[in-house]
Amino acid sequence: MRSFITKINKENIPVILSILVLFNFSFGAFLYNFTHDPYTTDIIQRLSPPGSGFIFGTDEVGFDIFSRTIVAGKIDLFISLSGTFAALVVGLPLGLMASDKTKNADRIMKVLDMFQAFPLLVLAIVIVAMWGNNIRNVIFAIILINVPRFTRLIRSEALTVRESRFIEVATAMGASKTRIISKHLLPNILGTLLAQASITTAHSIVVVAALSFIGIGVVPPEASWGSMIRAGSQYMMTGQWWMSVFPGLAIFISVLSFNTISQYILRRYEQI
Amino acid sequence: MLKIIFKKLIFIPVASFFVSSFAFIVVNLTPGDPVEVIAGGIATEETKQAIRVELGLDKSVPERYVDYLGDLLDGNLGSSFYNKIPVIDSINKYLFDTFELIIMSLVIALILGFIIGGIGAYFRGKLPDKFSNILLSIIQSVPDFFLGLLLIYFLFYKFELVPAPIGRIGLSDIPPKEISGGLLIDSLLAGNWETFKIGLKHAILPSVTLGIFYSSYFGRTARNVLGKSLNSEQVEFAKSLGLSKFRIFLYALVDARTPILTYVAILFAGLFGACAIIETVFAWNGIGQWAITKILMLDIPAIQGFILFAGLITLFTYTFLDILITYLDPRIRKKTL
Repeated sequence: MRSFITKINKENIPVILSILVLFNFSFGAFLYNFTHDPYTTDIIQRLSPPGSGFIFGTDEVGFDIFSRTIVAGKIDLFISLSGTFAALVVGLPLGLMASDKTKNADRIMKVLDMFQAFPLLVLAIVIVAMWGNNIRNVIFAIILINVPRFTRLIRSEALTVRESRFIEVATAMGASKTRIISKHLLPNILGTLLAQASITTAHSIVVVAALSFIGIGVVPPEASWGSMIRAGSQYMMTGQWWMSVFPGLAIFISVLSFNTISQYILRRYEQI
Repeated sequence: MLKIIFKKLIFIPVASFFVSSFAFIVVNLTPGDPVEVIAGGIATEETKQAIRVELGLDKSVPERYVDYLGDLLDGNLGSSFYNKIPVIDSINKYLFDTFELIIMSLVIALILGFIIGGIGAYFRGKLPDKFSNILLSIIQSVPDFFLGLLLIYFLFYKFELVPAPIGRIGLSDIPPKEISGGLLIDSLLAGNWETFKIGLKHAILPSVTLGIFYSSYFGRTARNVLGKSLNSEQVEFAKSLGLSKFRIFLYALVDARTPILTYVAILFAGLFGACAIIETVFAWNGIGQWAITKILMLDIPAIQGFILFAGLITLFTYTFLDILITYLDPRIRKKTL
């Protein structure tokens, strides 16, 4: 514990803060002792502004914004993280395979490039709308959007590393392909990979929010940041800002946290 | 040069075929039964069967695929399942509205991005660079629809600078005669300055929202490329020749043309779909908003048509970009030849 505290310095304070923010949203649902239940409405107190009774105010049906903003993090972050992780698991072997210098690999990359150029958000909306409105399909949409990104990144990283001398030496010494990949290739691309995963999670949070903002994916009464912003969006024109602003800020600081972590990882690996 | 252009163009038919197949696959190979959703829970078996025949879903997938490709060759994208309007007509109608929004947003994004990134590059390593970096991080982390709502609150509700975000013109204003379908272009063509001004005022919120959001892309690119070229030996040489700081900065900008152009093209193509949510927030009535409405209604021919359209726009923009870059950048031209 002591060595941990001495490690805190100016460099990593933003990262520690980011991790705390994400921890707060991931496990907040179990940590807090809410004065107002996130799933029961108080219709008499609807549209009350932030203040003594409700810290963040209430929405149009009388849900407490504070507890719902915290609870929504659980589901939104779960979807984003698991979607990103699955995309990484699928993209890794694909990228390694595509790093062979063959004509077919080039062709696969060309197809993936075209795919990436598609309006992917619209594609995600199509998938969730047509395949059914549930969390599994949202995760699937996120995987589909991100596999090409990981494949491309892993391929380009692997290509650079495979050119280097020590791989040549390992091959000459008779190391097997699996050994080269697991002992030499993977450790060298791990940093970039983790940094990208962090950015991808940040991006996925926005995609999940966008989906529930237009009313698909995670829908009420289940709390999600996007659907909360949606519920408040009409009221922005009449001045009841708190319904949209608090969940919006929650998205903002979560995304910012993942971006900060990603930058930190990149810097750490560049030093080594 | 002609040889390069020809080489790129020959790729288009093949790629178009892939794009159209992709549009078909996305819509037709869904695990659930779309008829179930369209008809609703209480529909009888006859109603469902009628819908199936109507949509051609009673045929097998390969049969449908052949029909679809045949129709495409005749330039027929099918008609909306609900109001029977041909999909191609809807796309024509909404295309220019979105086009106008994209152009305005990109101009704002470019100017803003260059200012933020340029300041960072010019004062690299100093305090303004840090600020520009933090500002870009913040812009990158705000979802565009949330940014739009914030701007509505401040610019419309608080300071009353812009008209209500409920469409392209006010409810009592008369739209110009439709020529291209884009409101601003049409009112200009008709010489109708009043409508043009009203339309421009209504365009402020959505285009500023998208402009701010996408300025982070240009800002980062501008910062990196300009920073690199301001550190290069050419610039050292230019400095030793005694050229003014401003002139040197302009030379550094030339270096940034390829990545900036690439970003403009990628965003231009991508925005036809990506601005869908912003269009919905501001009731812009463009192609993105049309697509979202159709997707939520499960209007299968319209969804298929939109995916095809988006794919083709992407394809053509990228091919054009490729040609333009090879033309502008002698380094790439030599490599491809």
